[in-house]
Amino acid sequence: MHIEQKTNKVKKAEKKQRRSLAIIKADCNVSQSDSPTLYLAILNVGLSNGLSEEALLTAAAATGGQVSQVLMLPSKSYCFLMCTTLADAQLVYDGMHNRATIGQKGAVAYLSYVLELPQQREENGWQKPLPGGLVLLPDFVSEAEEAALLEAIAVGTASPTDSLKHRQVKHFGYEFLYGSNNVNPLQPLEQGIPAACNFMWERLELPAFEPPDQLTVNEYEAGQGIPPHVDTHSAFKDPILSLSLQSDVVMDFRRGDQLVHVLLPRRSLLVMSGESRYDWTHGIRPKHIDVVATPSGSLTTQARSKRTSLTFRRLRRGPCDCQYPTLCDTQQTATPQEVCDKLATHASHLEQQNVHEVYDKIANHFSDTRHTPWPQVAEFLNSFEPQSVLLDVGCGNGKYLGCNPQLLSIGCDRSLGLLGVGNARGLSVFRCDCLQLPVRSSSIDGCISIAVIHHLASSERRLTALRELCRVLRPGGRALVYVWAKNQRKNDKKSTYLRQNTAVNKEHTTEQAQRQKLARQLESMDQQLPVPLPVHTNRTEFQQQDVYVPWKTKDEQRTTFLRYYHVFEELELEKLVDQMEGVVIRKSYYDQGNHCVIFEKS
Amino acid sequence: MKLSTYNFLTSMAIKGVKVGYPLKLTINKKDVIESEFNPVFIERLLPKLDWSAVYSAAQVAELADDIPAAQPDNVAEDEQLLQRLHHLLFEIDVLEGQLECPETGRVFPITDGIPNMLLNEDEV
Repeated sequence: MHIEQKTNKVKKAEKKQRRSLAIIKADCNVSQSDSPTLYLAILNVGLSNGLSEEALLTAAAATGGQVSQVLMLPSKSYCFLMCTTLADAQLVYDGMHNRATIGQKGAVAYLSYVLELPQQREENGWQKPLPGGLVLLPDFVSEAEEAALLEAIAVGTASPTDSLKHRQVKHFGYEFLYGSNNVNPLQPLEQGIPAACNFMWERLELPAFEPPDQLTVNEYEAGQGIPPHVDTHSAFKDPILSLSLQSDVVMDFRRGDQLVHVLLPRRSLLVMSGESRYDWTHGIRPKHIDVVATPSGSLTTQARSKRTSLTFRRLRRGPCDCQYPTLCDTQQTATPQEVCDKLATHASHLEQQNVHEVYDKIANHFSDTRHTPWPQVAEFLNSFEPQSVLLDVGCGNGKYLGCNPQLLSIGCDRSLGLLGVGNARGLSVFRCDCLQLPVRSSSIDGCISIAVIHHLASSERRLTALRELCRVLRPGGRALVYVWAKNQRKNDKKSTYLRQNTAVNKEHTTEQAQRQKLARQLESMDQQLPVPLPVHTNRTEFQQQDVYVPWKTKDEQRTTFLRYYHVFEELELEKLVDQMEGVVIRKSYYDQGNHCVIFEKS
Repeated sequence: MKLSTYNFLTSMAIKGVKVGYPLKLTINKKDVIESEFNPVFIERLLPKLDWSAVYSAAQVAELADDIPAAQPDNVAEDEQLLQRLHHLLFEIDVLEGQLECPETGRVFPITDGIPNMLLNEDEV
């Protein structure tokens, strides 16, 4: 019985060795040798399963044989030794094969003579220069300072500690929102960055350095990591600082197929700026053991222990202006800068031709489609005391002016066509531009501006429109602003706008096919457009922020008009409102494909 | 245009204009549309109105005899005045006329009941 078991075990081990040799042959084109050579392959242990150069060398030395070279390949479960003489090789083989317990959990190693060492060394991430702008400052804090910092961040509850899937996090200054990978600059946390961190900024000796205002503390247990990512460009400025405490770790920087490993020693500070901050992703692989370079240039392994990292960042509070568009959220979702410049230059002409004139032409048809008040707008209107004065800026056909009959409701719009509809219903309306409201300052209790400022062609003009709302409000007065959202889904749920695309939803066609169809139609239209922009396909996701949205008339001509829109990114409206003095955001929310803000004049 | 709306309009957006209020109103054609009188509504609305423009509207609408030049202290007790204010502010509808900037003389026409306060680009 015992003998049979043993035979099985031997058979199993032999099978394993044959398989390893086949893999080595396939990977490195290195063949087994039946007679002793200088070269030995360790078949079942390597960097990928936790063997360190030290452990291997120690085990080899114990055999009495001398080793002249160690070759450990990244991500491989085998490695190689070259011995000084054949006799040494035999000593090592006999001493280690099926004996040396250097495998995982004390498993024995299997060795084999091979004809040579692998010729083509796989290039490893350690031999490359650091990404541009990346600076590692070893021993940036002392052990005493490390202890003090750990104590400082443990005190108080800056924000509830979140247990992410792979690690524990805690925020100071502002909460980093993992849903949007952004921060809300309007909601600072009660607890800012602990003062105990301040001693580091002088030590940095960076010219024109602005101290950080946001700190994220990550606690990684051994085996935990963070997926490759770039810190959202529009959320934070350059540089980003990462302080490693309690344990070394290897961080991987990637750009395209480039990969650079960087060992972050305990108590070191990593400064990510320029290219390394904007154009490379960084991440930590979830492993218990890191592969690291030895001073001699070969590789070894190193066990991780619990590590605390302190990531210090400074909020940007505006669009990103970096030179690295590939990973830039501002430049990817936003319109290219030269188009924005062009939009700003031609704004009034564009708005005249592709907003005002279109609304005048489609007024009656448009008005027919606008009758039901949106519930949350009605709720806002009903939140005012009786006899409050309401101004609806961009009132269209005036559908909100009669919503709460206890208010004195006045509406204004650019479109005479739409104003005529409202006036005929006995509503109080006048004609003006939302950039210059002909209304006394501080005279209005409540303003609404529903689906208006997304028709303005530059962020300055959008801000001017908000400033006008604020100017006419009395102190304590409130304004509700709705703008169309670029993102037409929330929590994976389509907005009404997308749900109305029945052809796509019933899978009769696809959004791509609809886009192609529209493109063909537009070719035959020959419209003179002040600024070339993509034409949006109705009831599909927005591809860009600045677009023309077609309006097809229902008459026999089926004329298509193109309206200009700037659809808003998440928090873009809040950031715009935040640029005004004397204003507090009371509520901000997403409502059926719109970003919405209620602000109060203080 | 109702004269309650008139109370809020200014020409201050014109370049160089400091106050632009009250606008000089001219009525060429008006309509009177009766509406339900709610004394509480008028009384509570008054603090939000500028009395000088209420009075100038009354003058133009030839109701100056009904409306005092200065706002009386006890309007709430004067139901007759509240009734007259209701008539002035909510029942008179200016169909044709104009609003004129008191500082520059710029004229904003009122056509088909809608004041056109739109400015040209070179005016702002």
